[in-house]
Amino acid sequence: MSDRAENLILALPGLLLLAVAFFVPIAQMLLLSVQGEEGLTFANFTRFLGDPYYLGVLWRTVRLSLLITAICALIGFPLAYIMARVGPRMRLWLIVLVILPLMTSVVVRTFGWMVLLGRSGLVPDILRSLGLAGRNFSIMQTESAIVIGMVQVLLPFMTLSILGVVSRIDTRLEEAARTMGCGFGATLRTVVLPLALPGIVAGSLLCFTLSASSFVTPNLLGGSRIQVLAASIYRSVTQTLDWPFAAAQAVILFVGVLLILVPYARLGGGTR
Amino acid sequence: MVGAISRPVRIAAWIFVLATGLFLLAPLVVVIGVSVSESQFISFPPDGLSLRWYKEVLSSDSYLGAAWISFRVALLVTLTSTLCGGAAAIAINRRVLPGSGALATFFLSPLVLPTIIYAIGMLMLWSAIFGPVTIVTIWIGHTVITIPYVVRTTLAVLSESDPFLEEAAQTMGAGRVQRLWLVVVPQCLPGLAAGAFFAFNISFDEAVVSLFLRKPGLTTLPVQIYGQLEFSPDPSVAAVSTIMIALTVGLILIIDRMLGVQRFASS
Repeated sequence: MSDRAENLILALPGLLLLAVAFFVPIAQMLLLSVQGEEGLTFANFTRFLGDPYYLGVLWRTVRLSLLITAICALIGFPLAYIMARVGPRMRLWLIVLVILPLMTSVVVRTFGWMVLLGRSGLVPDILRSLGLAGRNFSIMQTESAIVIGMVQVLLPFMTLSILGVVSRIDTRLEEAARTMGCGFGATLRTVVLPLALPGIVAGSLLCFTLSASSFVTPNLLGGSRIQVLAASIYRSVTQTLDWPFAAAQAVILFVGVLLILVPYARLGGGTR
Repeated sequence: MVGAISRPVRIAAWIFVLATGLFLLAPLVVVIGVSVSESQFISFPPDGLSLRWYKEVLSSDSYLGAAWISFRVALLVTLTSTLCGGAAAIAINRRVLPGSGALATFFLSPLVLPTIIYAIGMLMLWSAIFGPVTIVTIWIGHTVITIPYVVRTTLAVLSESDPFLEEAAQTMGAGRVQRLWLVVVPQCLPGLAAGAFFAFNISFDEAVVSLFLRKPGLTTLPVQIYGQLEFSPDPSVAAVSTIMIALTVGLILIIDRMLGVQRFASS
């Protein structure tokens, strides 16, 4: 047996599994999206792109995903920087702080937010007692609820992406900047931030993709009136049972994600 | 001292970390709080203290059934994903096959594609060929989405290993199987273990593939919880959720003992 044969045997089970159970299903989905009663059709796409309701859903998805990604980056960068610069004991605790929510089911975390944000929940209660909100104030079933929940779900991804890059930055670069008379803030802005940029970009792409494609949290926190693209796909599959239309919406999501990921891969990134 | 950070900045950093920590942990703490409430309604802070909802969960057929399905699926997924992914990682690392770089990309691709897109494709393909979904569908689906994690963690460990060990074993007369089993696999172990934990955790907590592939009698635990949340959540959902959080904490403790959490986080 040759080396090549041995390694082929090792790789083959996974190779076959992914080919048959990953790439073929995606091809099937692509096919179904253009399959009509008599041959090729783009009716499902024109139906989506010609309907102001669905265009609104698409726009909301993009808008919320951008907002969620930006907030994650704003919190994730300082958090990752602090994690990289504290002592080893503290760092361990902070890593657990980030990993524990990450490894907890999204369904469970969303449930926590439902309790916190609901009409009689803690957050509206506090806002009411501070006089910041009226009696019937509720955050549930609003876009704000989706953003709050999604930021908590995605912040760990962003933080770990940035941490991987920041922890490799040589601290002597910062020391050099400080010796030369640069203040703390300016050092952060002119030395750390540019060096951390690849991590921030990778984390942002990850967050954007994940947030554009989630439906569990948006469905439970936003309710059925505030639809995002992924939630609309889920509804087409499970409620209206219009699979070709679901496939077309999935293709639109797919194309959107590719449009974002491909230029980045071209720049020589790689997703993490 | 050069590089010293002023007091206000330090204090601001502490406040920031505390606030972020509160934000990240709040939903988990709330769920645990609700689960020990005596009240019939979901309330936080909890009314009274009781374990009645845990009793209710442990005597509920629907929760126990869902937990049993989730557990079986997660075990099967861990097994297949670690075997396929680990073997593939070894082959990729040796760079003997043509296009090993492309092979790595191939194995990591399920990571890049949003799970919802894959879940739809899997549902459509399975229905077209085999009809109704079964537990095997979920098993395959979860294996596909967890393989990249095993490949990545194993490759990370292997890339730091010494390729000459295998050559040394060969010179000493070890056959292919011996070399693989006695030299390469032991080197991979930390990566395989990390990948296996990822696979188990992801499969056990996963809701997207499981939601698309759900049907009566085939609900995993996260799907069961999702269903309850959509219609009539009572504190028993919180009790199940708390058990799932406890499992996660247990998993993290085991990982820390075996591999160190920091290493795990960086993969």
